[in-house]
Amino acid sequence: MTALQVSHVSKSFPGVRALQDVSMTMTAGSVHALLGENGAGKSTLIKIVTGICKPDSGTVSLNGAAVRFANPRQAAAGGLGVVHQERNLVTRFSVGENILLDRLGKRALSLVDYTSLHREAEKWLKLLDLDVDPRTIVSRLSVAQMQLVEIGKALSLQSRVLLLDEPTASLTPNESTVLFRILRRLRDDGVAIGFVSHKLEEVFDICDRVTVLRDGRNACDSAGLSQLSRDDVVRMMIGRAERITTRAPRPKTDAAPYLELRGYASGAGHRDISLTVRPGEIVGLYGLVGAGRSELARAILGLSKQIAGEVRVLGRAVHISSVAQALHDHGIGYVSEDRKAEGLILMHSVLANGGITIWRKLANALGLLRDTTIAARVGPVLRRLEVKTPSVHQIIGNLSGGNQQKVSVAKWLAAGVRLLIIDEPSVGIDIKTKAYLHDLIHELAEQGTAILLITSDMPEMIDVADRILVMDGYRIKGEVENDRSYDPVSRAIMGLIHEKAAA
Amino acid sequence: MAATRDSALTRAFDNDWIGPGLVSLIAVVAISLAQPAFLSPFNIFVLMSAISVNMVIALGQLVIIGLGQMNLALGSIGGLVAISFVGVIERYGIPVPLALAFALGIGIAAGMSGGYIIARTMISAFIITLAGLQIFKGINLGITEAQPFYGVPEAVKAFGQASVIGPLPWLMVPMMICSVAMWYLFNRMRIGRHILAMGSNPHAAELSGIDANATIIWAHGISGLLAAIAGLMLVARLQIGQPTIGDDWLISSFAAPVIGGAVLTGGRVSVAGTFFGVVIIAIITQGLVMFNIDPFVVQIVLGALILWAVAVNRLREMRIARVQARGAGA
Amino acid sequence: MAHAGADNPIPPGSAPRRMSSGMRLLLGNEFGLAVLILLTVAVFALTLDGFTSPFSIYTIGRQIGIDTMIGLAMMAVIVTGGLDLSVGAIGVCSAMLFGWLMQVMGVPVPVAVPVAVLFGASLGFVNGFTVVMSGVHSFIITLASMSIFFGVMIFLTRAAAFNGLPPQVQAFGKMRVLPGISPLLLIAVAVCAALVVFYRYSTLGRQMLAAGANARAAELSGIRTGRVIVACHMLTGLLAAIAGLMVTARTGAAVPSMAGQLGQDWLLPAFLAPVLGGTLLSGGRVSVIGTLLGATFINIMTSGLLLMRVGEFWILAFLGVMLLIAVLADRTRQVFLTSRGMI
Repeated sequence: MTALQVSHVSKSFPGVRALQDVSMTMTAGSVHALLGENGAGKSTLIKIVTGICKPDSGTVSLNGAAVRFANPRQAAAGGLGVVHQERNLVTRFSVGENILLDRLGKRALSLVDYTSLHREAEKWLKLLDLDVDPRTIVSRLSVAQMQLVEIGKALSLQSRVLLLDEPTASLTPNESTVLFRILRRLRDDGVAIGFVSHKLEEVFDICDRVTVLRDGRNACDSAGLSQLSRDDVVRMMIGRAERITTRAPRPKTDAAPYLELRGYASGAGHRDISLTVRPGEIVGLYGLVGAGRSELARAILGLSKQIAGEVRVLGRAVHISSVAQALHDHGIGYVSEDRKAEGLILMHSVLANGGITIWRKLANALGLLRDTTIAARVGPVLRRLEVKTPSVHQIIGNLSGGNQQKVSVAKWLAAGVRLLIIDEPSVGIDIKTKAYLHDLIHELAEQGTAILLITSDMPEMIDVADRILVMDGYRIKGEVENDRSYDPVSRAIMGLIHEKAAA
Repeated sequence: MAATRDSALTRAFDNDWIGPGLVSLIAVVAISLAQPAFLSPFNIFVLMSAISVNMVIALGQLVIIGLGQMNLALGSIGGLVAISFVGVIERYGIPVPLALAFALGIGIAAGMSGGYIIARTMISAFIITLAGLQIFKGINLGITEAQPFYGVPEAVKAFGQASVIGPLPWLMVPMMICSVAMWYLFNRMRIGRHILAMGSNPHAAELSGIDANATIIWAHGISGLLAAIAGLMLVARLQIGQPTIGDDWLISSFAAPVIGGAVLTGGRVSVAGTFFGVVIIAIITQGLVMFNIDPFVVQIVLGALILWAVAVNRLREMRIARVQARGAGA
Repeated sequence: MAHAGADNPIPPGSAPRRMSSGMRLLLGNEFGLAVLILLTVAVFALTLDGFTSPFSIYTIGRQIGIDTMIGLAMMAVIVTGGLDLSVGAIGVCSAMLFGWLMQVMGVPVPVAVPVAVLFGASLGFVNGFTVVMSGVHSFIITLASMSIFFGVMIFLTRAAAFNGLPPQVQAFGKMRVLPGISPLLLIAVAVCAALVVFYRYSTLGRQMLAAGANARAAELSGIRTGRVIVACHMLTGLLAAIAGLMVTARTGAAVPSMAGQLGQDWLLPAFLAPVLGGTLLSGGRVSVIGTLLGATFINIMTSGLLLMRVGEFWILAFLGVMLLIAVLADRTRQVFLTSRGMI
């Protein structure tokens, strides 16, 4: 029986077509995987289904009836339970109260009957095999338990359709096993479960159907998973056939390392990290979400404490305690993965964003500087990167994602950094800009910039990096020499990541 | 997957009112040893009257703090209510119960209108209640021309001066009713739970189906009601309808809840803690007077108390976060 | 992700984004305010006797100068998305120090002025440092510091005014530079000009705007946001001190109650002028000229209403309503511009 049907949904945001004619059919008593790379459109699809945004065209129907929820609250009331990636609980309240938060009483001044509330909540906890007193304060639970409480909350609304967004992202393998046992039972009870995950083994473990999105389109629509191999799914996700690597491997450089970490440990949780990045070299840092890659970049910039080991810049041991120091003293720049929140100041102009790194350098003795001075330095870089903007005074929030990304790279080039850490450069930008950025990274390396590239986009990694460090659990698991041959390299990388699971 | 268990000490540390309670106790003992007159019936009566009024004022701010907002207009609502109450009696000879209902109605309406604007526009409560402060104060002064109303009925005057038993004033009665009611509100009533849920995690609260607008309007309405009650209590205590009632509520209305462990970002309040916060402030104020220390110092002490309480709360939060991080990691 | 048309980064159908600078000016707060001011002045001048008298113009202008300074003081910290409840207390404290220096210590005016102004900045430093170090919102920190600053001042001065200031101070307050123009107004205009340059052309000013708009992005671009925020609070203290000295010059005495209990009376003009002028309360955007225009508008309305014999107390309520209207209008404007993709 069809529980949730998405038919021919399209959605555009300014400058980006996020979804194009996407369909998905979830049936009762089945676990349905929704797969795709970062930026493939998974989160947009979930937002449309749950009423956070509205589709431009196409329909969503729940249990046979077309629905158009105005907000997540309506979706929940309509029987569509969603467990988001981040926890949405009131941590100072009890488990029971969280489950039944919207049903505490009929009137505003009604007294809450905690005895019956906790009795009612207990029913849902039992159903989930969660051995927790409903009177327990949520902040005393583990993350896995909190997640189960949220599932209980969704079920308590009589939801027969349950969407789980990356439910295992912060769970240990044991906790995941418990979760899967419960999901199977719910499935057998006839609940339709949607499962978003990056971890393919989990998908093959628990799901029976799969929808794959790639570049905002269906790479497959609700196919049975039993007929597909792991390779088939990977191929659909990354569409390798369309992206043949053309770049030849670059000759090795034996220049002295620009940045070197030795036995480095950070306050963020990194242990025993050793790596080198040489001028003119592109070092890739691959890992799954939560492996600690962006956190390592931030730690290098001085945003986490260094607690052990050595950081050397050009052979000299240094101690970096702020981004300002990393930039002005050591020539290190960082292109953030979260362009909107951390990379750019969206309400300010292109020029202000492009020049922010060099204000200090350009100011005269009085600390004054003029737009023309900045434009003289930033302008050539913007032109070189072919940033398309009506004027440098345009508010940057109005540019397309690709042009925004170019500016967030340009500000570091304007500052003339010697080491550039680039974090997920192609999230939310179009293919053409992406290819352009890859060329740019190569060009920079040719000119002697040291580059540390962080990406979870495997083809991008293999296309761009010279050698690839594989990271998992805040440690470096190993290194793979990149000869641009897709299958052996990707297999070697996955092998390093799964070493832990096998051990 | 066992939930973490905490030691009794940690739980006590987590409790909002034990700290301020102990400080109050020590302060009372210390001051009364040094200055026995501190425990004279008259002094206790004065002290308890002040505590009663200030507690209701603090509760009016506490409900908004629980929501994660602030109410700058609290004092001006209290003042407007106070002069309206005496004004309608003096000018129009309206019977006391009717005037009482009218005055409380003004308080609720003033609070709710601010809440309505905040909820509908999502403009910060700070700026809306700052505008409210100015508007209510302006109306107050416009009506009174800064002159007090003297026509307070004898029954009301008597209420402000009488004691229930021994040195305990009648003013304690409304204070205790309000305190118990607010304790119930925060711990047992749907609206109170929703206010705290909104204060601690607005996103989760909305996803859970809580009506955010209604909750905000309710909270401000309750705040207005408490401001009104406090204003009326002051009329009884001062025996006149002073237009300046409410002018000095701002600092202490924040100081007492914060000393009582309330977190200003919302979601965490303690009625008992706030009570001890009020007691501490009252004892210090009174103590300074008894030791002939410049009363102006009170202002400095109040500010320092806020900073001290903020620092303590901050340290405690960090500690709890660490304990939780360990619990989650286990 | 597929792009609608990769060659053209500005997708079709978004013509308003290429809004001309003229259009921007017309939609800006400053322009609207300027028109409003002209209209109000025209109506009052035609209908109210005495509105255009030299004395009226002189006193309105002088008060505009003072309110502008108070507004700029708050604006300097609103930039960061924070606020400073202690502006009034800082202003009074600096004014009292100013009075004490001259009357008790016999310090000459040219020395007392910079000392008092720097004292204001140092009080601002105390605020900023505490805010940054504690990570607690500036509201509660400045609530406490307003009580402390004011309390210490009252304690030290025994709440007594300094009436015996050097005659130049009062003369300055009553001086007319040109017929009908107070030097206090000129000072405010000069400070405005300096601040326009500061926010536009100085590294620190730009860093303040960047840190206020998006502190994380600013930090990750190599700006030391902590120091910048402390600097914002210092600027607030400095400007509040200047405002305090201006009030002292106008009154001819340093009076502890010149900004009301705890200096609270300054709060409304402090927020009203910048908000009317289009400074965003969430930070990242300022309008110096808007603040000047805002203060101008408030004072013209106030004096007009006074001439219409509206009681001065009712004007307080009216100013509160104005603040409400200003924030509501600003919100409406934002919603409108966002829906049109203009900001």
